[in-house]
Amino acid sequence: MLSRSEIQSFLTEHPDFDDISNGMRSAARFPNKALLKETRKVVALARKFNKEVVIPHALELDRKKQEEHDYLPWEFVQKANEWGFFTMWIPRFFGGRGCSFHSMFYFIEEIASQCLAMANLIGVHYLGAGALFCAWNIRVCNEIFREVAEGEKHEAPCLITAATTEPGAGTDCEETELLDKGTLTCRATRVDGGYRINGSKIFISNGHLSTWHNVVCYEDPERPSETAMLCLVKTGADGFSFGRQENKMGQLACPASELIFRDCFVPDRYVSMNNLQMSGLRGGEKGKTREILSQFFSASRLGVAAFGVGAARGAYQKALRFALNTEVSGKLLINHQWAQNILAEMYKNVASSRLSYIEGADVNGIEGMLRPVYNKPLFYIFKYYPFHWMKPIVNRMLESSLTTRIFRKLQLEWMTEDQLNRNAGWGALAKFMATDAGMKNSHLALELMGQAGVRHDREAEKIFRDAKLLQIYEGTNQLNRQCLFESFIGRHYPQVRVYEHES
Amino acid sequence: MPAVKEKELKMLDKAAAEFAKKELAPNREENDMFPFGPFFDTVLQKAFALDFFHLILPESAGGMNQGLTALSRLLENLCQEDSSLGGIVFTTAAAQQIMLEAGSETELGKLADAQTARDCLIGLPVFNNPAEIPNMAEARKNGHTYTLSGTLEYVVLAGVAGHALIPARLEEEEGYSFFLVNLGGAGVEKSEPVLSLGLRACPAVDLQLTNARAALIGEPGRGDAYFTRMADKFHTAAAAMSAGVMKGSFKEALEYARGRFQGGQEIIKWSEVKMLLSNMAVKINNADMIMASACHAVDEGLPGWEQKSSAAALHIQEMACGATTDGVQLMGGVGYMKDYGQEKRMRDAKHMQALLGIAPLKRVKFLEKMIK
Ligand SMILES: Cc1cc2nc3c(=O)[nH]c(=O)nc-3n(C[C@H](O)[C@H](O)[C@H](O)COP(=O)(O)OP(=O)(O)OC[C@H]3O[C@@H](n4cnc5c(N)ncnc54)[C@H](O)[C@@H]3O)c2cc1C
Ligand SMILES: Cc1cc2nc3c(=O)[nH]c(=O)nc-3n(C[C@H](O)[C@H](O)[C@H](O)COP(=O)(O)OP(=O)(O)OC[C@H]3O[C@@H](n4cnc5c(N)ncnc54)[C@H](O)[C@@H]3O)c2cc1C
Repeated sequence: MLSRSEIQSFLTEHPDFDDISNGMRSAARFPNKALLKETRKVVALARKFNKEVVIPHALELDRKKQEEHDYLPWEFVQKANEWGFFTMWIPRFFGGRGCSFHSMFYFIEEIASQCLAMANLIGVHYLGAGALFCAWNIRVCNEIFREVAEGEKHEAPCLITAATTEPGAGTDCEETELLDKGTLTCRATRVDGGYRINGSKIFISNGHLSTWHNVVCYEDPERPSETAMLCLVKTGADGFSFGRQENKMGQLACPASELIFRDCFVPDRYVSMNNLQMSGLRGGEKGKTREILSQFFSASRLGVAAFGVGAARGAYQKALRFALNTEVSGKLLINHQWAQNILAEMYKNVASSRLSYIEGADVNGIEGMLRPVYNKPLFYIFKYYPFHWMKPIVNRMLESSLTTRIFRKLQLEWMTEDQLNRNAGWGALAKFMATDAGMKNSHLALELMGQAGVRHDREAEKIFRDAKLLQIYEGTNQLNRQCLFESFIGRHYPQVRVYEHES
Repeated sequence: MPAVKEKELKMLDKAAAEFAKKELAPNREENDMFPFGPFFDTVLQKAFALDFFHLILPESAGGMNQGLTALSRLLENLCQEDSSLGGIVFTTAAAQQIMLEAGSETELGKLADAQTARDCLIGLPVFNNPAEIPNMAEARKNGHTYTLSGTLEYVVLAGVAGHALIPARLEEEEGYSFFLVNLGGAGVEKSEPVLSLGLRACPAVDLQLTNARAALIGEPGRGDAYFTRMADKFHTAAAAMSAGVMKGSFKEALEYARGRFQGGQEIIKWSEVKMLLSNMAVKINNADMIMASACHAVDEGLPGWEQKSSAAALHIQEMACGATTDGVQLMGGVGYMKDYGQEKRMRDAKHMQALLGIAPLKRVKFLEKMIK
């Protein structure tokens, strides 16, 4: 038999067994029954929401936006707010409903299977929430999330964006290796009591609809990876304005905006991360930027993967409905063997991509950004403890800088390189696998449906337009392949270099 | 190919390319706003004046008596800049070809003699093969005349053209027949323009016919034969459109990749970007070779020309769908925006893949015909 050390040594050979056994490892640690119960409820709720809100309005909204470029879907935002979707995945100790992230990814898939744009509108709010989480500034999280919860109570939706991309830097913002080679211009200048920001952000999803914006800026844009900081700017703040709404091909119900900052003052209390706050933590300034970016994208890319699965599933469903109801060459299309196999292929694309985001969510819950809420005892405390009874005490705790320091130690300093890579690798893999599947199925659905496929009123063409975005944002799929390469392949070989300029 | 013919084609190439650059490219995004913006009548009228709608008609019908090669060159050039006008030329020419196959030159001559572009256009449900999905009306014979009733989906150009060629089934007859319907006549009701994926300035409507007077084209019950003979040829023309849109997408992406900096260098210097661009360029080179061979086979009636034509369309359309999707990808977020025409090319290419019927079914049929 094998000794302990032999087992350890065989299992860390490439592929590291920990990289490929996330589902099994999480099964041993997660509060599985509670997770399953909650996810079942959330999926059922998503289906009800689809039936009552999404399906009746998806086409109409898409059409309206084509007719009237500046239209903003406030009614939908209100509905989603009423249904509690903007606090559903915010921890209860911040005033949210505290559902788990597994249920969020399933939820996103459900909504996306009926309308990617509406799913994006809800999902992007959690991209904003993710940008808050990943800096682990618990005081700022507490303040902003409580405002979101108040907004829900008072029917005044309070949404959050994540604003990274700039006109000169898209891909370059997504990868620390590239940051310093890029042309970043969003500058934060230290002034009394805070910073002044100058610059602009483009393509920011939900911009015009949101109250708070997580803005990534740089104290010295010549050294962005060492001087990156995150701050929160509120809509209406002096020096902050919206530019145009982008003129997109699809996902029309979810506007993308230009954000413009001209000497916009951000008080220190809304700086959620800068070098000063992070000093003393291991890893150096660049190391911290890398870690935060990596944790952010590891989680956000799983959300995009869930969108991709939703797109693939939506396309499959439209094609199936067409095949069930259309006679082609004298018999129902569904009874042509070639069509059956195309549908089987589409089903496979959906099912296999879903596995990828679940695997990613598993690894994230065991040892990624989400791990504090998946730990069994903490999970139950966070889920059932009556935080609202002891709000003043809880608030005092959350506002204390000690809490932030503990979380940062735990989440940033105590994250190993292996864990970081495993999360990044699965995030990237799920992202490009599922979004490629979304595009693939959109193509297949339109091919199968012929003339019906190109009509707006038959719903499939919208998915085709909507799905393409998924291959572009949260890092293009080319960048995500690079990320997988680095995380799972390159790191094992010392001779590997990435992003080298070639002649 | 005879030198004179080649010279003529070169002139056509040049004229079409110049027209596309001058008349189509500058307003591409605005024209694509239809039905939420105006229809591009002025451009259409200019195309009409240049005889773009008379290309394949015989001289006896007032045409230029050109073959599929000429039509394909015209379409490819137009679609490099904007496929919608290509769609209009294709649809009208396909209807004309059906009428030619049916021996209706006289009627065609009358239509071709029209004074305005709109009157010269002929609507046709060109994204469907009526033998596959019976999208057709019911025809009734009253003495020497016919009336049509029923609903037809997605009749391309029927919202803007003077006439449409409508497939309909005659009572107690096998198969179907084609009828020419005056779209301004009684009993013809048109829906609002159908909002579509691509080719938005080549609009379609759903038609509701109620005892609408119609003229039989060719012989009764021979609709499928005429459609098939047209489609055999016009697969090549459809392939040309896809080749054109693919070239337009490549040009745009290449230019962007040369000018866009990421990671401290023009993105064209990243070898992954080179790979994507190269994939597009390889497809375009192959499309050129296929088009040359298919056009020659169709125009010369070489043995197996029908297969070459069909294979060209199946392959080039599929390549164009992949290439134009990558064409967007290469430009990142900008590619997804309506400001560059790149997202439109992706929509147009996918839309065009549905020309003349369901793509995978055309593939199955291809083999069936081959082994028959
Ligand atoms: C509708 C929409 C919504 C968005 N929402 C948000 C949002 O909410 N918040 C936000 O911050 N951003 C958002 N984005 C921005 C998005 O993340 C970027 O578009 C994306 O990162 C790509 O950047 P880019 O568009 O600048 O493309 P570029 O980086 O210019 O890429 C162009 C092409 O070059 C390739 N390329 C670039 N660099 C390299 C390299 N080093 N190696 C190989 N290939 C390379 C890319 O793969 C791509 O094919 C959104 C974008 C869109 C379109
Ligand atoms: C190396 C090797 C080891 C094997 N080991 C075993 C073994 O241990 N035990 C055992 O019992 N068998 C074994 N097999 C047999 C194997 O399971 C068969 O080869 C397989 O089931 C396919 O059958 P076939 O070779 O007769 O091909 P066919 O059934 O003749 O198929 C030929 C082609 O026609 C297609 N086709 C057939 N029917 C249909 C249909 N109804 N609709 C659509 N397409 C269809 C197939 O997909 C295939 O592409 C082995 C085969 C190989 C090559």
